[in-house]
Amino acid sequence: MGANQWSLMDKCCDLCRHSSETPCRSYITCAVEGPLCHDNIECREKRRFRISEIKNGRNGLKISIGMGSCGLAVGARGVYDATLRELERRGLEASVIPVGCIGLCYMEPLLEIHKDGLPTAIYGRVEPRSVGEILDTYLEGDVSGASALRNRVGTAKGELEVPLLDEIDFLRYQVRWVTRNCGIANPESIEDYIVYDGYRGLVRALESKPEDVIEIVRKAGLRGRGGAGFPTWLKWSICRRAEGLPKYVVCNADEGDPGAFMNRMLAEADPHRVLEGLIIAAYAIGASYGYIFVRAEKPLMADRLERAAEDARRYGILGHNILDSEFSFDVEVIRSAGAFVCGEETAMLAAIEGGRAMPRQRPPYPATHGLFGKPTVINNVETLAHVATIMSDGWEKFASYGTGGSKGTKVFCITGSAARTGAVEVPIGITVRELIFKVAGGVREGRRFKAVQIGGPSGGCLPENMLDLPMDYESLTSAGAIMGSGGLIVIDDRNCIVDIARFFTSFTMAESCGKCIPCRVGSKILYDTLTRIIEGGGSEDDLRILEEVGTFMKNASLCALGQTAPNPILSTLRYFRDEYEAHIKMKECPAKVCSKLVSYAIEGGLCVGCGLCAKQCPVQAITKSGERLYHIDASRCIRCGQCIIVCPRNAISRR
Amino acid sequence: MVKVLIDGVEVEVEPNSTILEAAEKAGLKIPTLCYFPGLFVEATCRVCVVELSGTGRLVPSCVFPVSDRLSVETDNVRVREARRIALEAILATHRIACQSCPRKGACKLLELCREYGVEGIPVCAECLLYGGDCLLTREEACLGPITNAGCDGVCLREGKPCVGCRGPIVSRDTVREAVKLYVGYGVSLDMVLSRFSVYNSSQPDYCRIVKLLSNLAEEERHNQGV
Repeated sequence: MGANQWSLMDKCCDLCRHSSETPCRSYITCAVEGPLCHDNIECREKRRFRISEIKNGRNGLKISIGMGSCGLAVGARGVYDATLRELERRGLEASVIPVGCIGLCYMEPLLEIHKDGLPTAIYGRVEPRSVGEILDTYLEGDVSGASALRNRVGTAKGELEVPLLDEIDFLRYQVRWVTRNCGIANPESIEDYIVYDGYRGLVRALESKPEDVIEIVRKAGLRGRGGAGFPTWLKWSICRRAEGLPKYVVCNADEGDPGAFMNRMLAEADPHRVLEGLIIAAYAIGASYGYIFVRAEKPLMADRLERAAEDARRYGILGHNILDSEFSFDVEVIRSAGAFVCGEETAMLAAIEGGRAMPRQRPPYPATHGLFGKPTVINNVETLAHVATIMSDGWEKFASYGTGGSKGTKVFCITGSAARTGAVEVPIGITVRELIFKVAGGVREGRRFKAVQIGGPSGGCLPENMLDLPMDYESLTSAGAIMGSGGLIVIDDRNCIVDIARFFTSFTMAESCGKCIPCRVGSKILYDTLTRIIEGGGSEDDLRILEEVGTFMKNASLCALGQTAPNPILSTLRYFRDEYEAHIKMKECPAKVCSKLVSYAIEGGLCVGCGLCAKQCPVQAITKSGERLYHIDASRCIRCGQCIIVCPRNAISRR
Repeated sequence: MVKVLIDGVEVEVEPNSTILEAAEKAGLKIPTLCYFPGLFVEATCRVCVVELSGTGRLVPSCVFPVSDRLSVETDNVRVREARRIALEAILATHRIACQSCPRKGACKLLELCREYGVEGIPVCAECLLYGGDCLLTREEACLGPITNAGCDGVCLREGKPCVGCRGPIVSRDTVREAVKLYVGYGVSLDMVLSRFSVYNSSQPDYCRIVKLLSNLAEEERHNQGV
């Protein structure tokens, strides 16, 4: 796409007066449905042609490649380069769009081809060298090699054998509400966003009074998607009523939970939606300046948001007198220095102010006493994306999803041992079982489901008999887990629960800011106690210590990091106490993970004497004894498990 | 002015004051450790926590603002338990070397530990309050450095060596500190051990502590090249 090409955002002819200095109220609708102020066939045609080019690609050929961080990590860049190369070789002109992630992480890298007259086909796990072949077969009208189709036309070969995208299990149960543009629109183009109905919510908000915007969000029943689930409208109306100017809005894009990436996915695939939500929030509370606080480890997310803000500013959607509404607002993207605690709102404010990211005691809450001592609203990326969508589609539709107290949809990230991993958007209230077994397809082959960790290192671990729990704020909290950011880590029977609890505790221990005693010292005590249990030195008293110190941290810590840090331990003590007891009383690890508690032995009957294990052993603990048999010297063995991996006859066992 | 209920006592305070200030007005004492008005008020030690009645929430009274009809409990079981663990956690990372500490026993931490039944501070900290020379300088085998404080016994005032009736401190760091003193002052470890056995030989951990003492003494002698 040439830089000097006419875009929908530009003037169609000299009659158009819109610019960032002289904004026009109907700019957004005019750009897509216009021109509205004058009638000119040529101008109208120009728009219609450009819209079809965006939707269907240049010359009716459009190739979209999933290039979010996740796609790039598995080689989408190579697929992109290969596509350009192959198109050039064939002399084809087409639009090649680096779209965001659609959520099908287990299928990355994804390539989607659309040609007018053929069904739109999606190819999963594409390698650069197979791009040419995919192009050739597709253009010949053969889609039998595709993983899924977006639509059926009835003209292509093999069309009926390939499932429709909406029919594959991973997407069948989803309601794509905020993720609707993910993997479809070009995230780097404001034009694409407007073509796909973007910024309509902002226009609607600017047409109504700020109080009415808050009222709409209240009727929708939107609650914060960052974890605590505080009603968004209430936060806004407290801030609106609070005294002090200027007011600020902050978008919390500091997503740090291991296993949660929905904010990254949203902001990378559809940054304008987040920005739109932020502008609406600013309008509702009367803020004049905003910040987007992005985790430094997610550079693409920061780049995309920065680019979005720049584009919006250029076309008068951000800045002075937005769309002639007399409302002015600007935003700055800030990259965090990379501490997990920055996700805590008061720590984030301290970081934005230029200080060390340490939380402070609330109250006073940021809504009345926030950034630089002024009223500040802090909303999470997903919450803001919801705001934009609620304003454009109406609260009724949003409120029709979900349960009584928790309305709408939520994006969950499924990772760990699930058969299909990725991000899914489902109505709140879906049961954990449906999410794991229907959407994610259960655990990987050959393994058995053991537990699911919901809400990252601050969440809890639920066993199989708790899976019929609906995923809403209240139910999860009462079961000892939290909704948190919505990350689900599926744990199979090859994992030791105590080891997992120690892993999460080591994370919070390292990420504790060290300000208050319960979190700083408590997390260390918990970690040391768990280490003692794992290494076989645990006593009955240790379980009491875990419970006592864990409860103390939960009750007395300063911020949510410390208050939720013992959740993995307290919930596993509640549901998997027998596993702790096995470590302490029997000195054995039921999952055979904790290396100090397992021993390795070679079964004489199965060993064929190939000697691979002896070669592999890093400490020469395996020696030949007798004619063909090998033997492991327990005193030298470091229990690394390498011998098990190389043994062709499965003759080595853990005990 | 707003009305606040502190342990059932009703007081009227300024609307922007803290629970701690309200409690002071009600004549109740809430313990604090890291609270220095005008200098440091960050609510980090969590010793001043109180419970908001009815909610079960523990909040630090030194920064938590009062609101009208707020009711708090400053001394119930949950509060005391939280304070006790907070003190234990502080002690866990505290280098206990009371003999060389400039506070010379005038120590709020010691006071609170005694009040909440937290063990781990040696008798020396208390002894220092009564002045006089350290008995170790006279090569007396005093058990003060390895015995839990809190007795406020007559030995302290009489200048008698401690016989360890309140039980040993099992923390390795404290014992190491004590052994440094014993070896430094040339106190015979045999004398220490024989005195130690008077009250402590029935301790479940007796053998372990004796072993720890001897090992550390050996190490210390080695370090000093004796």
